[in-house]
Amino acid sequence: MPKKVISIIVFPGSNCDRDLSIAIEKNLNVKINHVWHNESVTGKHEMIFIPGGFSFGDYLRAGVLATKSPAIKDLISYSKKGVPIVGICNGFQILTECKLLEGTLLKNSNQLFKCQDSFLKVENIKSIFTRNINKNIIQFPIAHSQGNFYTTQDSLKKLEDNNQIVFRYCSQKGEINKKSNPNGSLNNIAGIVNKKRNILGMMPHPERAIEKFNSQDGILFFKGLEELL
Amino acid sequence: MIYRIYINYKKGILDPEAEALKKTIANMGIKSIVDLSKGKFFDIEIKSSETGLSEIKKISKDLLSNPVIENFKIIKK
Repeated sequence: MPKKVISIIVFPGSNCDRDLSIAIEKNLNVKINHVWHNESVTGKHEMIFIPGGFSFGDYLRAGVLATKSPAIKDLISYSKKGVPIVGICNGFQILTECKLLEGTLLKNSNQLFKCQDSFLKVENIKSIFTRNINKNIIQFPIAHSQGNFYTTQDSLKKLEDNNQIVFRYCSQKGEINKKSNPNGSLNNIAGIVNKKRNILGMMPHPERAIEKFNSQDGILFFKGLEELL
Repeated sequence: MIYRIYINYKKGILDPEAEALKKTIANMGIKSIVDLSKGKFFDIEIKSSETGLSEIKKISKDLLSNPVIENFKIIKK
């Protein structure tokens, strides 16, 4: 039986695509299909990932130029068919600029590029992306200068009411407050899903948390996706 | 035909760069600044046609600005 396929869309300036491939291949029995942004995403895909990095040099606004690439047009049509899609870091920025996810990511309120391990509270344990994690607080690294999640008050209320917040920055003990917020994100938001719940955007990097020298909570994340294949 | 498109943040959106500039101006000894905001503009030359302005509006709305956080204004140069 041929292996199931996970596609990763690669843009000029993406730099987490290889780490992501390794993390997926180590934890799931799938074939990785790298799709260059100027090409079409074709065939059957169990999932599509948009990796982190600096697509198009973050020109204009992080992620916006990527939204006009041909592969993104295909991504949007796959998203309407319910294919699970995950955007990590720059991938999250691209998904908000495509309007597949609510809000946007502003510059960090502290004016710093934040590169550190972050604790995250898994807020929505029922989402297809998190329901097998079996841990309330996980640790993934973050590395970004534009991760300050912002949206209008109306949209924030809808995100909260619809239980679309998936991850929030927290302390080691799980406290969600200003001190545990690394970038100024509204309500400590680190990751959200769309209303249909088949699209996840997150700033932290699960693909950087799979080796022994660091948190290995990324393994829980990737292995948890197996049932989607 | 040349259009100039101004983009700026909506009121209430935190712009760390503008905040840093405000502090720097205070370091220059100028204490009279009440507020400061930063924006950008683009000059776009487009073939004169009936659809020119609507195309400029589309570019401004769908690419140059993000309606969640930014306003845009178009002027004819």
